[in-house]
Amino acid sequence: MARERTGGARPPRRRGMGRRKVCRFCADKTLLIDYKDSRTLGTFLSERGKIIPARITGTCARHQRRLTVAVKQARTVALLPYTSVYP
Amino acid sequence: MADRRYETLVLIHPEQGEAGSKELAARIQALIEDQGGTVSQVQEWGQRELAYLIGKQRRAFYVLFEYRTAPKALQEVERNLTLMEPVLRFVSVRQAENAPPAPLRPVRRPDREDAEGGGEAVDEGEVDLVGEREMS
Repeated sequence: MARERTGGARPPRRRGMGRRKVCRFCADKTLLIDYKDSRTLGTFLSERGKIIPARITGTCARHQRRLTVAVKQARTVALLPYTSVYP
Repeated sequence: MADRRYETLVLIHPEQGEAGSKELAARIQALIEDQGGTVSQVQEWGQRELAYLIGKQRRAFYVLFEYRTAPKALQEVERNLTLMEPVLRFVSVRQAENAPPAPLRPVRRPDREDAEGGGEAVDEGEVDLVGEREMS
């Protein structure tokens, strides 16, 4: 009759599944954030050319801050697009 | 005032041609040195496709300057760059003192033209979708 309930204390909540994301720049200290490196920066952009939030990529706050600055610098010199959809 | 380490990436109008862009690069280097800077490296990336149109142009010559100079002098260099007609755009960034010098051929090969997307694998081995999208 009544729905089954899991007894006892709940496990700590982890939405979704899968492994914990780690910051790529923390994991690999030799990987530098450089606005000239459009290839690396490009992996942090969405299809539309928007910067992917850190909560998705797992980048730590410090590196995400540097990343956004680098992306914006790269955009001013047309190494990266502002948008893939032309106005 | 202590000198600082900077680098400036300059985009030169494609109409200048290979020779014209080299000449302009030399002029810019002279400009930096006139302001009391010491240029440690000049990198010519050649003509590259732009990620978006600038001044109705699809491509431009990229030249990177690495140098040390005083902040005041940088201002003057930047002011002069804005006055140069063939300079489409530029960005100056302060580099950390201990940062390694920019590696040669830092991004992708400048002479790539129509090998877009397909020829990627030959380039560096690691191909990612993003690199290809960037070309379109």
